[in-house]
Amino acid sequence: MSDTQRDGIQEVQPEKVLRFTRGERISHWVHAGSFFILLFTGLGILSLSFRPALVIFGGVQVARVIHRGIAVIFVVVAAGMFLIGDSRYHWEWLKSAFHFTKADWQHISAFPKEFFGGHGDYPAQDKYNGGEKINSLLTIFGSFFITVSGIVMWFSTSLPAGLVRWAYPVHDLSMFVMTAAVIGHMYLGLLHPDSQVSIFGMLSGYVPTKFAKAHHAAWYERIKNQQRTVPGK
Amino acid sequence: MARKTVFVDTSKCTGCKACTVACKEWNELPAEKTHLVTSYQTMKDFTPNTWTYLTFIEKYQNNTMDWYMRKAQCFHCAEPACLKACSSAAIHKTDSGYVVIDQDKCIGCGYCVENCPFGVPKVDEVRKKAYKCTGCIDRVENNLTPACVQTCQPGALEYGERDTLLPKAKARLEQVKKEHAQARLYGETEMGGTTFLYLLFDSPDVYGLPNNPTMPLSLSLWQDFVRPVGTFAVGGAAAAVVVGVLGNLFKGRYSSGSEKRDLSDGSEQEKGGKR
Repeated sequence: MSDTQRDGIQEVQPEKVLRFTRGERISHWVHAGSFFILLFTGLGILSLSFRPALVIFGGVQVARVIHRGIAVIFVVVAAGMFLIGDSRYHWEWLKSAFHFTKADWQHISAFPKEFFGGHGDYPAQDKYNGGEKINSLLTIFGSFFITVSGIVMWFSTSLPAGLVRWAYPVHDLSMFVMTAAVIGHMYLGLLHPDSQVSIFGMLSGYVPTKFAKAHHAAWYERIKNQQRTVPGK
Repeated sequence: MARKTVFVDTSKCTGCKACTVACKEWNELPAEKTHLVTSYQTMKDFTPNTWTYLTFIEKYQNNTMDWYMRKAQCFHCAEPACLKACSSAAIHKTDSGYVVIDQDKCIGCGYCVENCPFGVPKVDEVRKKAYKCTGCIDRVENNLTPACVQTCQPGALEYGERDTLLPKAKARLEQVKKEHAQARLYGETEMGGTTFLYLLFDSPDVYGLPNNPTMPLSLSLWQDFVRPVGTFAVGGAAAAVVVGVLGNLFKGRYSSGSEKRDLSDGSEQEKGGKR
């Protein structure tokens, strides 16, 4: 099945399709890793109940420095990958997150049932289904607002207090939104019986063809054709 | 302990700055390089080591100059924004009306600095701690008057029970108003009523003070809405996941024969092949 051979350099994998390129996977894991470090150091600064856990970083003052250092990675790497890390797919993802089709809305209305283990009816989905697009939007807006408010807080001494005061609720709200989203995201990627196989798309890059057909039929049909017309990439 | 008050009668202040010296002396705060800000004013703002200073305002009208002097320090609000902003439980309020920072708990995040409507607390960036006027709590709890009050020569500062000082301040205001129609009390109701109660010659903005100091809206939104609702939302997401896992378990969807089993088998083969 040369159909699934998306990249000429990579070995032929007849039962698999390439879902995420290396650049996309690096972006995902740098974002995820830095997010969790930021979350744990931030929670320790924000909340006294988490603060004792900061001993693993070497105390609250070290955690404050780590929080800022990792924040730079969180922002710079994520932004940089749009330019150097298989950038085409990054831009495609960004574009698709803002483009909701009728099929996406139908997926979203079937989503609660699916989430709790039932079966909802929805039409063939593209590379990102409606639920994934919502998760993408929460991530995009959460990352944007947490970055902007974080910069304001970092440089608080040279900015007016009236502005800095607003950065605190914005920073926290972004954190809560992204944390709630990541809990659901991890459940679907790791624990949900139907979708947990998708984690391999973020590990090796490949998902079983069967999964692609069942969950992202529209995308699968499209890449089959693309692979014929663009054999090198 | 009943509510205490320090009545700052600016109409009696001569700008001698003895209070600022007494503060440094009692609290063992190092002297700092001073600069000429306006006329006699030598400090522009609070610092981690300067908890009180004198402001000198020159107001010119009708070919005369009004020279307003004011001792600036923490107001010790009844509803302190700094306390509400602190995420380290490092700030507490006493029954006597004092607002005190516990430097052992403080991490120097600066949330109090940004949220104080008067810009009082300052963070020492080396020690990573916030500092401000303690109201000489260590003195008043031992039946002494605050150091600044103790030293004030013209009697512009008076320390005592709020119940006795507030009527006294109002009586004094009536006298002062005869020559200064704009005179008023500041701190009677502001921020829930501040422990340092001022008699000002003119409106607060003339002194560089906010006319209507309030708890910042962003602070209330943050502490009373975003944090509880956000915690609830994250808890809700976690609960939904637990329900989802249990629901799938109950329906037997983790056991063999499901679609997922076939798929993950394939994936493991693929992983094995790569090794």
